[in-house]
Amino acid sequence: MSSLSDSNDERLSPDCSVILCRACDLAVSRRALPSGVRAICPRCQTPLYDTPYCAVDGVLAMCIAALILYIPAMLLPVLEMHFIGSVRTTTVWQGALAVAEQGYWVVALAVLIGAVVGPGLLISSVLAQMVIIKNRLYRFNSGRKFFVLLLRYHQLLSQMSMLEIYVISFLVTSFQLSDFADVYFGMGTFCFTMLFLVVLFMLREYKLEHMWSYLNEGE
Amino acid sequence: MKANNSVQGKDLGLCRCDDCGQINNTTESCCLRCGAKLQLRDYNSLQRSWALLITAAILLVPANLYPITTLTKSGRVTHDTIFSGILRLVHSDMLPIAVIVFTASILVPWLKIIGLGIYLSAISFNLKFSKKKLMLGFHLIEWIGRWSMLDLFVISLTVALVNMGQLLDAKPAPAATAFALVILFTQVSAKVLDTRLLWDQLEQQDDAN
Repeated sequence: MSSLSDSNDERLSPDCSVILCRACDLAVSRRALPSGVRAICPRCQTPLYDTPYCAVDGVLAMCIAALILYIPAMLLPVLEMHFIGSVRTTTVWQGALAVAEQGYWVVALAVLIGAVVGPGLLISSVLAQMVIIKNRLYRFNSGRKFFVLLLRYHQLLSQMSMLEIYVISFLVTSFQLSDFADVYFGMGTFCFTMLFLVVLFMLREYKLEHMWSYLNEGE
Repeated sequence: MKANNSVQGKDLGLCRCDDCGQINNTTESCCLRCGAKLQLRDYNSLQRSWALLITAAILLVPANLYPITTLTKSGRVTHDTIFSGILRLVHSDMLPIAVIVFTASILVPWLKIIGLGIYLSAISFNLKFSKKKLMLGFHLIEWIGRWSMLDLFVISLTVALVNMGQLLDAKPAPAATAFALVILFTQVSAKVLDTRLLWDQLEQQDDAN
């Protein structure tokens, strides 16, 4: 990886051999990479690009698996507490509602976005993208517009989805409560953890740059 | 590689689309691939980022001083701030959990605000810090910032589970909202900032030397 150090008198045309760093605007010449290797900006260490290829079928499969797991993960209780004979259970959804009922709707909104809406939108967005690619719908005008919209918000959605933090949070809660009550995990806990793992691997396989490159095809 | 040798896209008359990464000529006003508006540099982002950071810093005070949970145990009511909650965990021999909660609710928000403050000052006041270290810190802040949400998730689960009236009852307290807003504002502050501004300014310094 080397930066363009020769002084260019004439202006370069926007071709594929030059890329600019997202964070520091350094001009870097593009090279083919062996698989599993990531190019890093020589000046500011920001990741530039990696293998611009991803298995659409693999992402689609994991996306469908995530969608199937999403429903029980949201509906079944993630934690169960036994305290002097009385049993309390909670789902992700009820956790947010309980806080909202106390008047803390900002906190409730944060929980809803991070654990329910964020992951839900992310999974549906990826599913829609895969359907568009599979059926080559991006060649049509409306399909292309929708595809661009989904890609534009992909990074925001993947930041809004906080499944990994939620998984740690029910571990922390169970330890805290185990001081004065018995805490049990249920089927919902299992589904939620599996959902986290499937989404994790889906996002590892998913390459945003590759998705954008489908738009070059029509030109 | 010497830093003065590096050529920026700005010098080549090229502009990277913020949305899709396509390289366009600076003469274009919209990206050729995705149609987003092209902007060589977003100078206003510095001001926006400062405003959000200052708001977050102000909110950090109530978030730490006010109680974040109210616990009723056998009729006795105790208010816990973020810090006293962690002390309680340490006293009840749950050190690993205490370390996790401490990192997520105290270390990360403070580091984020101080780190972003240093980063923005370096751009605004032309401070001479190592830009590589600044950038490394910035990426770390971007990555670790979301983990503060842990405390809010724990509160929501605890409040939903522990509701047995006078016997045992947990409720959120005012600091929870302040803390949620601190996370929101610091995350948005880091997200809106155009980091290329830092590298432009330090380039100018190199030329002067």
